[in-house]
Amino acid sequence: MKSLLLSAYSWADERLGLEELVEFARHKTVPVHSQAFWYYWGGLSLFFFLIQFATGVLLLLYYRPGPDAYDSVRQITFDTNFGWLVRSVHSWAANLMIVAIFVHMFSVFFMKAYRKPREFGWWSGVALLGLAMVFGFSGYLLPMDDLAYFATKVGMEISNLLPVLGPKLADLVRGGPDVSEYTVHRFFALHVVVLPAVFLPVLGFHLWLVQRHGNALPPSEETRPAALRKNETFFPDFMVKDFAMWLVAFNILSVLAFMFPWDLGPQADPLKPAPLGIHPEWYFMSQFQVLKIFGDWFPGTLGEVLGMAVFTAGGILWFLIPLYDNTQEAGRRARRATWFGLFTLMALIVTTIWGYLAL
Amino acid sequence: MNYPFWDVPLIGSGWVIGGIAIFHMMIALFAVGGGFYLVLAERKALREDHRDWLQVLKGHSKFFLILTGVFGTVSGVGIWFAIGLANPEATSALIHNFVFGWAMEWVFFIIELTTAAVYYYTWGRISDELHLKVGWLYAAASFFTLVIINGILAFMLTPGDAWLAVAGTGQESSRFWQAFFNPTYWPNLVIRCLICASLAGVWALVTCSRIDGVRKPELKTSLVRWSAQWLLPTFVLLPVAFVWYLWTVPESQRALLQLGISTIGSGMFTQVTRAVLIVGLTSAVIVAVTYAFAWRSPREFNVGQALTVVLLALIATASGEYTRETLRKPYVIGRYMFSNGVRIATVDKLNVEGYLTHSVWTRQGNDVKLAQGEAMFRGQCLACHTTDGYRSMKRLLGERNREAIANLLKLLHDYKPDSPYRAYMPRLAGTKDEVAALGDYLATLNPPVVPAKEATKTAQR
Repeated sequence: MKSLLLSAYSWADERLGLEELVEFARHKTVPVHSQAFWYYWGGLSLFFFLIQFATGVLLLLYYRPGPDAYDSVRQITFDTNFGWLVRSVHSWAANLMIVAIFVHMFSVFFMKAYRKPREFGWWSGVALLGLAMVFGFSGYLLPMDDLAYFATKVGMEISNLLPVLGPKLADLVRGGPDVSEYTVHRFFALHVVVLPAVFLPVLGFHLWLVQRHGNALPPSEETRPAALRKNETFFPDFMVKDFAMWLVAFNILSVLAFMFPWDLGPQADPLKPAPLGIHPEWYFMSQFQVLKIFGDWFPGTLGEVLGMAVFTAGGILWFLIPLYDNTQEAGRRARRATWFGLFTLMALIVTTIWGYLAL
Repeated sequence: MNYPFWDVPLIGSGWVIGGIAIFHMMIALFAVGGGFYLVLAERKALREDHRDWLQVLKGHSKFFLILTGVFGTVSGVGIWFAIGLANPEATSALIHNFVFGWAMEWVFFIIELTTAAVYYYTWGRISDELHLKVGWLYAAASFFTLVIINGILAFMLTPGDAWLAVAGTGQESSRFWQAFFNPTYWPNLVIRCLICASLAGVWALVTCSRIDGVRKPELKTSLVRWSAQWLLPTFVLLPVAFVWYLWTVPESQRALLQLGISTIGSGMFTQVTRAVLIVGLTSAVIVAVTYAFAWRSPREFNVGQALTVVLLALIATASGEYTRETLRKPYVIGRYMFSNGVRIATVDKLNVEGYLTHSVWTRQGNDVKLAQGEAMFRGQCLACHTTDGYRSMKRLLGERNREAIANLLKLLHDYKPDSPYRAYMPRLAGTKDEVAALGDYLATLNPPVVPAKEATKTAQR
């Protein structure tokens, strides 16, 4: 049996060069230090993405966009065997994926892992977060229950505020002046075709960069003499722990999806008044609240336009950090970047909580 | 009935007990397993001359003393407050039936608390042999607290025919031992002992994770691996013990699980089954994660990883406790008292004489009928439901109109043998008028949606 397996392996190896991969994995190492816990979050984000992919395909077997959208989701939730579970896992994993990406992004930021030569890793990573949020926004509408409908309606009004192009763009995405079955079709196409087509190559590029440059050391660890630094092999040591973290994530996801199945509200009825306290998903809450705050401070749409400008400027600064914090030393500039990171994190948390309290 | 009702908005009174109980179980079961861990580890250290183990064990016994002696005892008293408020009838029944059981329990508690303190404060001050004896005394006393409380907790699910034959006659304590060693006593005890052992390992890993693996690699490796072993017996034997447990629970409770398994595809009636699956999954994940983090890389094992195992243990404990509580439905004391405190034997009487006439704490409002309905709701529904939060009546009633609510209440009141509600809901007690008043009250929770045109017509009239 063993010799049979070995000969099968060497047959494949001759044609695919598997030995090179094994060699590569054997020599790859991962640093071990007190902050190594944060290294798992990129892998966790990937794990949730894989879950999304698998459950998304299963939902695709029963989901019907257009006028039947609500009915098909009702069918998935109440009639199809284990449909409730698949849908629940898809919805919970979507949220957990965004949590994992946020944690990953901030840990990369505070470890200064965006510096040379990892700039493209940072840019592709931030792009993946942006894409994941658009995934979330487009997926949220698909069940067409009243919460989804009205939250999307509110969300689309935000893009209306963009000067000149805003209203045109909103009409284009909605497929008309209002959220309707055409919007569901467009969001569906975006969710299952356009976004994966963009996301997968960016993800591939991001993972390739991680392999190319390896794990970054935090500045505190970089200052230690090389002889004192510890490493472990990627295969099998780090990978076993990485899979253990995936198991923990799977366990938490199972608890949420099993014990708190995702609800389906009543069917959207455009003629009905919007339910009280309608709000976007938690990961858009900060933007939503900033717009509200600026809207209260300034008259007309000026406030909201200013709010958008502040958020966009902050986002651009965040995105471009590798260009203006590029020194290798853990000096003054690095500390300035840390303060910027802390300020951003606090601003996001405070405005999100404020948003929920103000509902 | 004889007591005021405790209205806890959003989460309901059950979750106040649940929250405190889950926290308490994580510590109380550690208090039992951890005692054996300490004394066995100390014995091993002395026999094999691992003097460096003793320093770590001293630190662990301090952590143990604080966690069990402060947080364990405070949360234990917290459970008494919570059950006394949430379900005074059942609490009263337990106190009256097991008065000597409680007395014994508290004797062991006092020995347990005293020896835990003596054990910690006498490290290096008395001879090794005597210190070990104090440890054994602690372990034995804490084990007996489990032996006793287990009888009372298992009684709540399966009081047994002997006790039920005299229930309500005033002769209940004459069947003390039959009630104590009830049908689920032994499997329950075995399950709890297994959980004690694994929690001893889980908490010990927290202490071991703090040993400096760079400076003391051998000490850390040996202690981390020895502690990790404590998780193994539970993982192997728990499924067997669980099957034994299921064998002893009443047919009606097994039916609840079977109903859950047969309908899991649709996700209906499966809350308990899902919780059982989570317990199974989490137990397996705990072992796998402990192997990956602790057994394979003991020197690099850190606090974050140890706390991850604690988090998983918390999930398993919470799901296990939830299962135990939910499996008892529709009773708080099996076949004797419904989960809302109504004694089964009194239902016929209450149907004739009235539930509210026997409730001394109900208040009269301006709208008498609605006030009656609300009192019925508080008395008979509030034990498991809230208006807006957990098991929300607003959500569960949905778009049911007054007539549909009346039909539902009739099903609960008639309680026919084939009614699916019998599996988890108590029988609704009360006269026709009282049931009607409850229906009126429930109908006010979700005001009917009147189409715009209808509303205008009504306004014009």
